[in-house]
Amino acid sequence: MSEVVFDDIFKVRDINPDGQKYDKVSRIVARSEKCDMYMVLDVNTEIYPISKDDTLFMLLSPSLVLSTKDGPVSIQDKFEYIMHGRLYNIVNDNGSKTELEVEAYASFGGLQLMLRGHASHCLKFAVDQKLFLLIRKVET
Amino acid sequence: MNRAKPEGITFTKEPYIEDSGPRRIESMKFSTLSESEIGKMAEVQVWKGQYYDQFKKPIPSGLLDPRMGPANKNVTCTTCHAQFKDCPGHYGYVKLSLPVFNVGYLAAIVEILKCICKRCGRILLNEDTHKERLKKMRSPRIDADMKIALAKKVIEKCNKTTKCLRCGYINGTVKKAVSAIRIVHDRSKCNDSSVEEYRSALSHTREPKATINSDTQILDPFQVLSLLKRMHEEDCELIYLAERPEKLIITNIAVPPIAIRPSVIMDGSQSNENDITERLKLIIQANAVLRQELDESSGSFKSLDGWEMLQAEVARFINSDVRGVPFNMQMQKSNTLAGLMQRLKGKQGRFRGNLSGKRVEFTGRTVISPDPNLRITEVAIPIHMATILSYPERVSRHNIEKLRQCVRNGPDKYPGARMLRHADGSSWSLHHSARRKRFADELRYGDIVDRHLEDGDIVLFNRQPSLHRMSIMCHRARIMPWRTLRFNESVCNPYNADFDGDEMNLHVPQTEEARTEAILLMGVQNNLCTPKNGEILVASTQDFLTSSFLITRKDNFYDRSTFSLICSYMGDGMDVVDLPTPAIIKPVELWSGKQLFSILLRPHANVRVYVNLTVKEKIYNTKRDDRKREWKTMCPNDGFVYFRNSELISGQLGKVTLGNGNKDGLFSVLLRDYKAHAAASCMNRLAKFSARWIGNHGFSIGIDDVQPKVELVNKKDKTISDGYGKCYGFIEAFNKGKLSLKPGCDAAQTLEHEVTGVLNGLRDEAGKICMQTLHWRNSPLIMSQCGSKGSPINISQMVACVGQQSVGGQRAPNGFMDRSLPHFPRNTKTPGAKGFVANSFYTGLSATEFFFHTMGGREGLVDTAVKTADTGYMSRRLMKSLEDLFLHYDCTVRSASNSIVQFCYGDDGMDPAGMEGKDGKPLNFERLFLKSKAICPSDGDDGILSSSDVYKVVQEKLSEVGMSKLLGNGVSEDDEMSEVASSAGFINSLQSFIKDKTEFTKDTSTKDTSVDLRKFIKRISGITRRQLEVFLDVCLSRYSSKKVESGTPIGAIGAHSIGEPGTQMTLKTFHFAGVASMNVTLGVPRIKEIINAAKNISTPIITAILDKDDNAHTARIVKGRIEKTNLGQVAKSIKVVMTSRSASVVITLDMERIQDAHLNIDANIVKESILQTKKIKLKQEHIKVLDIKKLEVVPQDADRSKIHFQLNYLKNLLPSVVVKGIKTAERVVISKEVDEETKADKFSLLVEGTGLRDVMGIEGVDGRRTVSNHIDEVEKGKVLGITRFGIQQMGKSVLMLASFERTSDHLFNASLHGRDDMVEGVSECIIMGIPIRIGTGIIKIKQRTECIKCYEQVEKFNHGWLCVPLLIFPEICRPLPDSTSPQMHASDSLDV
Repeated sequence: MSEVVFDDIFKVRDINPDGQKYDKVSRIVARSEKCDMYMVLDVNTEIYPISKDDTLFMLLSPSLVLSTKDGPVSIQDKFEYIMHGRLYNIVNDNGSKTELEVEAYASFGGLQLMLRGHASHCLKFAVDQKLFLLIRKVET
Repeated sequence: MNRAKPEGITFTKEPYIEDSGPRRIESMKFSTLSESEIGKMAEVQVWKGQYYDQFKKPIPSGLLDPRMGPANKNVTCTTCHAQFKDCPGHYGYVKLSLPVFNVGYLAAIVEILKCICKRCGRILLNEDTHKERLKKMRSPRIDADMKIALAKKVIEKCNKTTKCLRCGYINGTVKKAVSAIRIVHDRSKCNDSSVEEYRSALSHTREPKATINSDTQILDPFQVLSLLKRMHEEDCELIYLAERPEKLIITNIAVPPIAIRPSVIMDGSQSNENDITERLKLIIQANAVLRQELDESSGSFKSLDGWEMLQAEVARFINSDVRGVPFNMQMQKSNTLAGLMQRLKGKQGRFRGNLSGKRVEFTGRTVISPDPNLRITEVAIPIHMATILSYPERVSRHNIEKLRQCVRNGPDKYPGARMLRHADGSSWSLHHSARRKRFADELRYGDIVDRHLEDGDIVLFNRQPSLHRMSIMCHRARIMPWRTLRFNESVCNPYNADFDGDEMNLHVPQTEEARTEAILLMGVQNNLCTPKNGEILVASTQDFLTSSFLITRKDNFYDRSTFSLICSYMGDGMDVVDLPTPAIIKPVELWSGKQLFSILLRPHANVRVYVNLTVKEKIYNTKRDDRKREWKTMCPNDGFVYFRNSELISGQLGKVTLGNGNKDGLFSVLLRDYKAHAAASCMNRLAKFSARWIGNHGFSIGIDDVQPKVELVNKKDKTISDGYGKCYGFIEAFNKGKLSLKPGCDAAQTLEHEVTGVLNGLRDEAGKICMQTLHWRNSPLIMSQCGSKGSPINISQMVACVGQQSVGGQRAPNGFMDRSLPHFPRNTKTPGAKGFVANSFYTGLSATEFFFHTMGGREGLVDTAVKTADTGYMSRRLMKSLEDLFLHYDCTVRSASNSIVQFCYGDDGMDPAGMEGKDGKPLNFERLFLKSKAICPSDGDDGILSSSDVYKVVQEKLSEVGMSKLLGNGVSEDDEMSEVASSAGFINSLQSFIKDKTEFTKDTSTKDTSVDLRKFIKRISGITRRQLEVFLDVCLSRYSSKKVESGTPIGAIGAHSIGEPGTQMTLKTFHFAGVASMNVTLGVPRIKEIINAAKNISTPIITAILDKDDNAHTARIVKGRIEKTNLGQVAKSIKVVMTSRSASVVITLDMERIQDAHLNIDANIVKESILQTKKIKLKQEHIKVLDIKKLEVVPQDADRSKIHFQLNYLKNLLPSVVVKGIKTAERVVISKEVDEETKADKFSLLVEGTGLRDVMGIEGVDGRRTVSNHIDEVEKGKVLGITRFGIQQMGKSVLMLASFERTSDHLFNASLHGRDDMVEGVSECIIMGIPIRIGTGIIKIKQRTECIKCYEQVEKFNHGWLCVPLLIFPEICRPLPDSTSPQMHASDSLDV
């Protein structure tokens, strides 16, 4: 029971920018609407197909049960695709133009996530955090 | 040891034998035996040439006289009346009618005769030199090698003197006759009145002159003997003769005891005598003939024939291959009989075959096969083998029931026993089933049962060639059915074994001490990495890599049941596994393959193994991402392996992570961080798991794997035709002579170069396309990607294009007139005609292509055949020269005689086996830092340290371990105390690393941001106190544990580390070193040059660093100064000019060219250099400088008749005059390098040739940084090669030298010089059967006498089976003279 670490709506910009390397897994590149975050995510597209220009609601949470005003609420049923993994690195990239741009890396059993954006959106991230990544498609 | 009492004789009183405890042979003295000594030593004079009488009994005074020892078990010795097994045998002797030379000493006798007067026998030195030399010889500081050198000088000096100072006799030269065993005294060059007289006397005789050579006189053994007898003691000493020289002449031959020349009885009646016996028989016969001749004839001339025969027989008794045997004897069948020398010599001889290496019992050998279900420390032994091999186990209350059952089972039923030894010393075979039950029931504590091998027994496992110490390792036995020896494939690497029919050997240590030592020192677990450089050697191979690669593929997912099943593969289904949360929870629960590896490393929460590592696999995409950074974990090929706290974050595992030959791989990390057991058990799990997984998954190769796609075919055709086009372009340019030349090459070489470059590029290109078009499921592709087998080249050869075939590094040579094969027109240089194979193995090769391919293939085969012999011999030499070097307690490297070789091993005293970092650095800071950050998570934001705090923490930690004083004030690396200095280097690198890592914490908190944000930034990039402390603790403690242990056989490890990689190198490896056309010999030939300390190396290269290295122009100027320039190269013309009045050679210089090459040459300089050339004998006045670029040479001898020849001679010679540069510098090439930091060009010169000192002296060259690859040029002093000549001069003992090469020479010399050698080196100890004092043998155990009493008391209670408390005195050795003689005080009671 805890709070959501990060949530936003992403628009898929590209799929497999470096060419399709795997049969079942695709790498999607997306950009968020609210926080203007850049995301690279490996998704098992065999069981959850995603195509270009899809809009996705993505949520990162340490638990599938959120504590809300009404008590604990399971969010599992509200999403179509859920992964579990570990946030393993947060990098403050000094080389880029805005100094407070941060990259957070997570691995969901080998499926990689990279979130890049302003540090203020990532304050709740911590290294070695175990996270659930939940996705559902949003109709535009 | 008490010799068994011979039966028959009963003493009234026990003879007194002093028992002074175990003794040790300390030294060994070589000497010669005199006539009388042999006579005294012998029991019998042998003079009969027959063996047996008519009753098949040995004839007395024959060669098989029973007084020389019993011939078989049925008879006793008639001398000592002992049984066959007790009597060592006795000598006999043969008295020769006339003395003969001992061939072994023949060269020595000649040397002696050179030194002495052939009339009075005194040395040919005057009194003063005699005294002076004698004083030198008697100096106590001189050793054997120096004495030999001194004696050599004396001999040289004497050889020059002809006239004896004492008797005035004129001596000639003494030589060994070429075709006979004979010494000749040649006085032909002497001017002596006696010779004249003799000659004049001869001229009056009637006999034809040709028959008698008046000047040369044969010195027969009899004369020599009398001369040698006349020699003075002091004279002997001068030429380093330890004993009387007359002992070098044989008058009596010692007949060796029968025991060492046993006769073999063949089917009852026939007997086959030993070669030595046969040889002796021939001697006796020849002796008898000579005796008869002597008795019959009165004149002295006649007996010479028989004498010569006797001489030849005696010579062949000693050395059957001796040269100079009379021709009529060479054809006899006795030629095949071996002499004494043949017994000792060579690989199968006594020294190498029986003394240095002995046959052993309790061994086995069969074919090997793999079994991934075995642990890496195990070896499966077939039951058949286990019932034959045995281990003597002492009965105690813990094992009595087990051993009872073994005894009951007997030798044929497993688990049984072969023998039973009672405590009273009686032993019983268990073959008779009747007795077994009784023995089993009567088994008592303290009995010893030789039981069959059982699971867990310690065995040694070995595969030839045993090139390094990991070729023999200690395993635990596992008794299994079937017929092969089996072990885990992970252990193939150290043995270099495969399963194509290889056989391996097994040895069973027979004592508890041997077992303990074996498992601790040689256990597989303790030899996971090579002592060569610390890389891991025991690691996953082949299928394990393939399956790991496939399992960890990014799109490999399992559902709950499959995942659980695969988890159970890791163990035997009984292990606890914590199932992790699935990687994908919705829409279906799926676990990824990477999660399997997380489980493999850490099956459940109680396993405290946290692996942290990053590795770049082969498939890692080296291109940069959108921000021009490395991809790292985001690599699209998933090639970046990242383990974080035993969780596989990213990366597809392959050879770099799991395989051998890497220091940052998974198993290396486990080995370093969690010790060998963790690494071994992880390998066990991986082996089981991957073998079972791939068994279900299936992995094979088919024809479709090598079928190229249409796309590939098209692309390949295009690249090949493009490449051919380029080649044709070059060829055309070459034919027209328009090819622009490469530096230092002529047109043909340039063409060859260009074309080869294009064609090699072609195959690579085809390979690249090929790899791109293959499907990811293609088996060869998978294997090459994960590194289990095959390379991209192999695949492209199968699928796309076989490529250029080369012989000796060149394209196929011309085997026919101007063409490689008759299929092609003459002088074709096209790719196809010179061995380029455009087809693939799939499409098939054309006839010519096939032939070219076989040419390349044959070279490979020949290469391997030659290389094995070559490198094997090299290893042997290295080993023999370095075998006795070890690390002493005071951390110095010493030889067996305790002389210091190096003050600090490797200048840092570190153990190379433990080095974790690259380039032999002790630690990989980067990884340890990552690890300490990962295992100590930062909780809260408070713990983050600022830069100043970091410095403080570092200071604190260092002062704890007492290294703080090394900080700041900077201990220089060449400090007196090497230990401090080497640590200083480490501490400095550690500090700079921490500085680098914590630097960025400074500048983050500068911007105006919210507190939260600032804290967040700090948290993600800072380091906590705990993390830093853990990091420092790990670094410091680990560093101190990486010192080499005392007693380590450093020499042997070094020899292995050079010898073993040598066998893996291809012989003719040539490689470009930076600049085109500058080849440097590499590989085995280069190692050979270095090790042999060759005086002439094939590619000597001096790398000259320039004072100003940023300018191409100056580089060219300096090049001009160094490079050898001939007159021919700078002269426009060298003409013979003949006018009516004068004739001369006129040289015109090509000033344009000289200017171009930045040479400073004009006519005057040319004149000087011509004058300096010694071959041309011209004087100042002969050369006239006409102007700056013209000079005239007038021949010195103006004889008109010869002038034409003179002129032509000059004209031919002049072009080769060196006008500029260093004569030995053949060629200079400017090498251009780009500096890593400044991106500026840096120039240096590569000089092909010798003359380092000359090059250093050239203006513009920085002499201090100029280097040469020629050892002989760099080293001033004596460089000993590791060859038979070098090793001989290294002060080794005779036994060691004899066991190396030229056995008999060393032995003869040793006895000549009366060498007295300590038995202390490795070879000697092995030969004498004494424990080696290296390694565990460095410790001497002494026992306190009080302990014996308590031992005896306890014995009554416990049947004497317990450890005696021992005190260990590690002897701290300073270079003490007496430290070489150990004092063993082991008590007698230990031998009970």
